[in-house]
Amino acid sequence: MKKSKLKTKLLASITCLSFGLTGLANAGAHSEDVYGPFPVTLKGYSGDCTNTVSYSGQIARHVQHDSLKHLSTKGDYSEMNSYYSGSDKNKQIWAPASKDGFPIKQTLLNDISSGKNLSGKTYKGTITSWPNNMTGPEVIDFWMSKAESNPKDVSVGLNYQQLLSKFIMGAVFYNQAVDNYLDEKMEADTKPNDKPYKDGACYTGKEHSWDEAFGYWGAAAHSLLLSAEQNYNVAKKKDLASADFNGDGVVDLKSEYVFAHAYYASSFDKGGKTTYLEDITRAFLDGRKLITSANGEKLSDMSRARLMAYVDDISSNWEKVIAESVFKYAGSTYKSLVALEDVSNADLAKEFDKYMKYWGELKGFSMALQVGKNNIGETGAKLNRMVGFGPMLLDETQIVGIDVNGNYVMDKVYSMNDAKLHMLKIQKLMIDQFGVEARGNDMLSDMADLASKIGTSESAEND
Amino acid sequence: MEFFFDIFQNTIDQFTNPKKRVFILYLFLSILIAVAWLIFHKKKSLKESIKFIFNPKVFFSKSATSDYKVFFINQIIMLLISPHLLTQITIATALYFFFFEINFIEMGLFASSPKYLIVSLFTLTHFIVDDFSKYIVHRWMHNWPFLWALHKVHHSATNLTPMTVFRTHPLEGLVFTLRSAFAQGVTISTFVYLFGGGVDLYTILGANLFVFFFNVFGSNLRHSHIGIRYWKWLEYVLISPAQHHLHHSIAKEHYNKNYGAALAIWDWIFGSLHHSEDTDNLTLGLGTKDDQKKHTLKELYQTPFIESFKFLKRYFIKVFLFKKINKNKSEIYYKKSPQ
Repeated sequence: MKKSKLKTKLLASITCLSFGLTGLANAGAHSEDVYGPFPVTLKGYSGDCTNTVSYSGQIARHVQHDSLKHLSTKGDYSEMNSYYSGSDKNKQIWAPASKDGFPIKQTLLNDISSGKNLSGKTYKGTITSWPNNMTGPEVIDFWMSKAESNPKDVSVGLNYQQLLSKFIMGAVFYNQAVDNYLDEKMEADTKPNDKPYKDGACYTGKEHSWDEAFGYWGAAAHSLLLSAEQNYNVAKKKDLASADFNGDGVVDLKSEYVFAHAYYASSFDKGGKTTYLEDITRAFLDGRKLITSANGEKLSDMSRARLMAYVDDISSNWEKVIAESVFKYAGSTYKSLVALEDVSNADLAKEFDKYMKYWGELKGFSMALQVGKNNIGETGAKLNRMVGFGPMLLDETQIVGIDVNGNYVMDKVYSMNDAKLHMLKIQKLMIDQFGVEARGNDMLSDMADLASKIGTSESAEND
Repeated sequence: MEFFFDIFQNTIDQFTNPKKRVFILYLFLSILIAVAWLIFHKKKSLKESIKFIFNPKVFFSKSATSDYKVFFINQIIMLLISPHLLTQITIATALYFFFFEINFIEMGLFASSPKYLIVSLFTLTHFIVDDFSKYIVHRWMHNWPFLWALHKVHHSATNLTPMTVFRTHPLEGLVFTLRSAFAQGVTISTFVYLFGGGVDLYTILGANLFVFFFNVFGSNLRHSHIGIRYWKWLEYVLISPAQHHLHHSIAKEHYNKNYGAALAIWDWIFGSLHHSEDTDNLTLGLGTKDDQKKHTLKELYQTPFIESFKFLKRYFIKVFLFKKINKNKSEIYYKKSPQ
C-alpha cells in the first residue's frame, strides 16, 4: 500500500516537474512570439501594475458563449439568458470545463471577470438575414425562447444550439473586434495612446483597445508557438502539454485556451493550405508591439498607417475564416441533402439530425459574415436567398417568414434539387467573393481536379 | 523579376512537360520514326538520314527563325493575358449548374457504372471532343475571312519544323484557348454530373492516354520536312504527317483539305479528306509572290491584326447598318489564297 502511494507521488512529482520545465523552456525561448506581458508606457503612471495586457472581459464572454451553447440543448430559457444577458459573477462555467487529462483553472465566471454579458455587446443593427427586421439581440432572444420548448425543432428543421453559437460568435466577437475596437477606436483622436484607456488604468487607450480586439479573436497568448494542429487540439481539450504554457499543470482560460474563430482558423490551417491563425495572431502581436514602441506618445501618422495595415490584414483574414466556414457547411448540407434522398427509414431520423446541425452552422456563419465592418451588399442578398430562413424539409417546404405571434410560416418555394444547387452556388460565391482557399467539403472539387489533370486550356498552338 | 522567372519557367515547361507537344521525349521519338522512315522507305543510309533530318537549310531558314521568335514573344503575351481568360473550370461550373435546372436529367444517373468503364469513357470522350472541336475551329479559321487573316500567320511558314506549331497570332491563341476551355468544360461537367465522383482520366506521364500515343507516334512530324505517309485505309482514321503537309501546300488541289489534328474521320465525314502524296516537291506557304517577306514581326503580328479588324468592321456595317459593300482588294486576295 505504502509502496503504491510512494509510486503515485513520485509519478505526480515527475509529471509536475516535466510540465514545469516545459513551461519554463517555452516562456524563456520564444517570449517574443507570445502576446504579453507588455510593460507600462503610460506617462505619469505611478501604480503597481507591470503588465498592461488585459482582455479578461473578452475571455469571460467567450466562456459565457461556450456555456450558453452547452445549455442550449437543455431548453431552459432563464438559464440560457443568464449567460447571455445576466452578469451573475457566481455562475458556473459549463464550458470549457475540466476533463480527464485537461484540468482547467477556473470554474466560476468570477474567476475570470465579473459584470460582463454578451447582450450589451451584440450587434444592434437590423439582421437582414432573418425575418421581421429584428436586431441582433432580438434574434438571439427569439431563438432562446424557441429553444426552450424545442432545442432541436424537427418540424421546421432548426437546431438552435448551432444557430445561437455561430451567430453570437459573429454578432459579438467578430463585430466588436473589427467594427469597434479595430475601427472607431483606432481613429487618431479616439482612445489616444497618450492617455489612459480610463481613469486609473495603467494601459493607454490604444493599447487596451488593441488587447480587447485580440481577446475577441480567441487565440491563446502563446498560439504562435504552436502548430495549427496543436492549437486545434487545445480547443478540443486533447493536448494539455501544448495548452499549459506556464507549466502550472492547469489550463488558464485567460491566456492558455483557444476559443471561437481562432479555433475555426486552426481547423482550416491544419489542412496545410492556409495560415489564417498564424497570420491574424501575428498581425495582432506585431500591432501591439508597434503601439508599445510609441512609448506612451500619440501614434504618429506613419505608425498609425502601419497599424491600419495590420488591421486590414486581421479584418480580411477573419472574414475569410467565416467565409471558409460557410463554404464548409454548405458542402456538409449538400451531402446531407443527397444522403436524405437515399437513406432508409431506419436511418432517416439520424440523417435528418445531422442535416439540421449542418444547416444551422451554415445559417449561423452566413449571418455572422454580414455583421462585420464591411457591408457585403449583393453577396449577402444572394447568400440569404440561397440559404433561406430554414432548411428545406422532406416535403419541400421551408420557413418563409414569422407571423405576428412568432410562429413560423412554412411554404414551398423551390425544389429539393434547387436546394442542392443553392449549396453549390454558395460554395462558388465564397470562392468568387472571398477567395477561400481551405475549401472544406468542396463539392465542386471533382471538376477542378479533372481540369488540373487534363492541364491548362491556355493554348497558342496550331495543331 | 518574378515575371522573367515565369517566362523562363513556362518556356522550359514546353520541353519538359509530357502534356506539351514539344516535350523532349516526343521530339526524340519523332527523330527515331523519321530515321526509320528514311532508311526503310526512302532507302537512305543512316548518315544520309541524319543529315536530311537536321538539314540546317530548314532549321535556320527565315521561316524557321521567325517561328522561334514568335514562340518566345507569345510566351510573354500569353503569360500576361492568360490570368484574364475564361477557364475550363468556369465553363464546367456554369454548365454543371445548368444541368441541375433540367429536371429530366438526373444527377448521377450512371454513377453506379464500373469505375474502369467510367474512366475509359471519359478518357476517350475527352480526346474525341477535343479533337473534333479542333477540326471545327480550324475549318472556321480558313472559311471566315477575319479569322483567316489571323490564321495566315501559321500558313505563311515556308518551311515546317516542330516549332511551327507555335507560329500563331496571339488573337488566334485566344480563339484556341476558348475552344480548349469550352471542349474541356463540356466534357468535365457532363461526366461529373452523370457519373458522379468516380470520373477520372487514364494518363501516361500525366498526359491523356490517347494524347500521349498521338505524340509518341510522331505528332511533331506534322510540322516537319519528313513526309511520312500511312496506308490508305489508315488515312481515313488518322491524319498522317504527309496529309498535314498537303494542308500547308500552295497547290490549288490541296485547298480546303485535311483540317484534322489527330483524327482524319472528321475530314472524311465532312468531305475535306485528301489522301497523302509524295511531298518531296511540295511548295509550302501562302502562294503569294512575296511569301519570303511574310516572316517579319510586322507581317506576323501587326498586319493580321489590322486585316482582321477591317473584316470585322465590314461585317458590322453589313449586319447592323444594312449597307451593301463591294468586295475590297484583300477579300479578293483571300478568295485566291490557299486554304
